[in-house]
Amino acid sequence: MGRTEMTLEATVNSSPTTIAELVGHRTTETFALLDEESKREIRRALLQAVCIPGYQVPFGSREMPVARGWGSGGLQVTLACVGADDAVKVIDQGDDEGVNAVNLRRLVTMSTGIDETTEVDEATLIQSRHRIPEDDMNENHILILQVPVPEPLRGIERDIRELARMHAEADYSRMWVSLYEDKVRNGVITQSTGYPCLVASRYIVATTPIPRWDIPRLHQSKFLTLFGAGREKRVYAIPPYTDVEPLTFEDVPFEVESADGATCRLCGSSDSFLVEMPGKQESWSCSDTAWCRRQRNT
Amino acid sequence: MGYAAARGGLNAILTAENLVRRLRDLDPSERIELDQFTGRLRLLVDRVMGESGLWAPELAAMALRQGEGDLIEAVHLLRAYKSTLGRLDTAIPVHANDIQLVRRVVPAFREPGGPQILGRSTDYTARMLTTTDRDIVDASDSTTTLDTALKTRPSNSRMSDVLRDMDLLVDRRRTDDPEPFDITRTPAKPPAPRSALLSSMARAETGALVNQWYRNILGPDGYLHEVTLGEVRHGKLPINVRHPMTGGSVNIGSFRATEVEAIEDLNGSEEDRTRFDVGYGFCFGHNERKAIAMANLDIACYRDGAKSGLEQSLLMTTDGLDSAGFLEHLKLPHYVTFRSMVERKVAVRRVADGKN
Ligand SMILES: [Zn+2]
Repeated sequence: MGRTEMTLEATVNSSPTTIAELVGHRTTETFALLDEESKREIRRALLQAVCIPGYQVPFGSREMPVARGWGSGGLQVTLACVGADDAVKVIDQGDDEGVNAVNLRRLVTMSTGIDETTEVDEATLIQSRHRIPEDDMNENHILILQVPVPEPLRGIERDIRELARMHAEADYSRMWVSLYEDKVRNGVITQSTGYPCLVASRYIVATTPIPRWDIPRLHQSKFLTLFGAGREKRVYAIPPYTDVEPLTFEDVPFEVESADGATCRLCGSSDSFLVEMPGKQESWSCSDTAWCRRQRNT
Repeated sequence: MGYAAARGGLNAILTAENLVRRLRDLDPSERIELDQFTGRLRLLVDRVMGESGLWAPELAAMALRQGEGDLIEAVHLLRAYKSTLGRLDTAIPVHANDIQLVRRVVPAFREPGGPQILGRSTDYTARMLTTTDRDIVDASDSTTTLDTALKTRPSNSRMSDVLRDMDLLVDRRRTDDPEPFDITRTPAKPPAPRSALLSSMARAETGALVNQWYRNILGPDGYLHEVTLGEVRHGKLPINVRHPMTGGSVNIGSFRATEVEAIEDLNGSEEDRTRFDVGYGFCFGHNERKAIAMANLDIACYRDGAKSGLEQSLLMTTDGLDSAGFLEHLKLPHYVTFRSMVERKVAVRRVADGKN
């Protein structure tokens, strides 16, 4: 449909006389790397994902200029959603300056000409790997998380057909058993990041892996969260104002990461997700670098 | 906007890119021309096209040159390029018997119907490294004149047809004609139609398929035994499209492909012990290793009947870009996830020490 329109437009505007010319004209019109047909297809999958919170929607993941496993899914979601008026923030481990964040951000801005920013309140699209920004986000934000492994049940089941059945029937009993066994054997639930959560009381999702620290942010959030898994060719979503409950037992409260009273050596905060420099005194700092910088400046 | 803060990472990337470009492009040797890739490293070019799922010899050569000969890198460049292009048309299906053969090997019969053509092959060449220029062929050397095999068309006697005529082949030809599964638009997962399996393998990484096959010989899998090859073919096939005005068939080019039929001895208790079955392999370019593995695994997957994980392994673990990309992503920073893991180690220890 869109393909025909574009072809005709190219023909009328510049009258190519050969197939090579025709093809050439099409490629120069590409906004946001992907052809329009592909972007529409991804948006359709995203709409389905929003309508069925937590359900993994298969999509025809394209090969991107970044390798699979390096944010190709998040990038496709961002490129499918981006418009000329958007501003994008990209972080990796909470850091705007991480090399992978820089690389993905320049791909988005170079192929669209949109603004980039490190500030959450200036951004409309926030693509992230492994973190949710510490700042409050609202209805104007879309958070796009890069997902390496979208299947939350893979640790207990490898067979794709059985996994499909378990999700379809909401048969999550083995997941509960595995959490119970973990607690009994180890005294705590040892799942570190990517903690499994029940979305809208229906589907269990893999939380990408973000740390447990970020999980409460997903519950009844004002913002839309889109998850893109390029290698595994799935997208899923948590719409705004949706229940997101980490799986745990009534008498075993969900625990976020703690750092025993440590504070950020740069901003002094103890109320952010801290990362550590090994073997040093005063070795902690905020993983969210933009947030940390603002704490110092205000 | 908060732009300056993000400079350090960018500078590192730009420096790395510069190093790659400078050291590659300013190497004291001559730059390799594209026709040297297509002419002298044809098997490498064929592999890149096969694993990319794109027939474009010149683009494959460019990708190899840009990627400094890294096959996976070249495949990535080519597939990412393809992502930027829309689809203009779909070719009219062509029958595999329309192939113009340059090579055909039939191990199952001494004198099959149609020709046995050894063609361009090092199968029976002693693998001795030539360390001098003495053996380089001179254009005037009459012992190396090219044969006219390219003009040879096979008779219709492909080995599966021969066996069927002898009533030695189970018949699982289907009467309907479903659209082939398009793995580039819909992710293939079990249970998938055979067309999804075949196209996944046609685009798979060659080494991955060879390994999937060899796991059955010395590894933990036992889906298949040694089959007998019915056909090993290499040749050229036409690309025809429908004319947008007249509706007639128009030839717009050709491509080379390798085609293999693998005859399987049926020995399962539920199987027809009076007949054989056949697996099919087909891929871009000259890549017999891949097509043979594919044909073996095609029949193995059918016989397995979704009883085990073979279908999932073939559909979901043989793509070179998927596996290599995910393997290499381990180089990315993981300090947030690692911090969280360390925190859990401390928590487990605290409980064990009774401090909770
Ligand atoms: Zn800080």
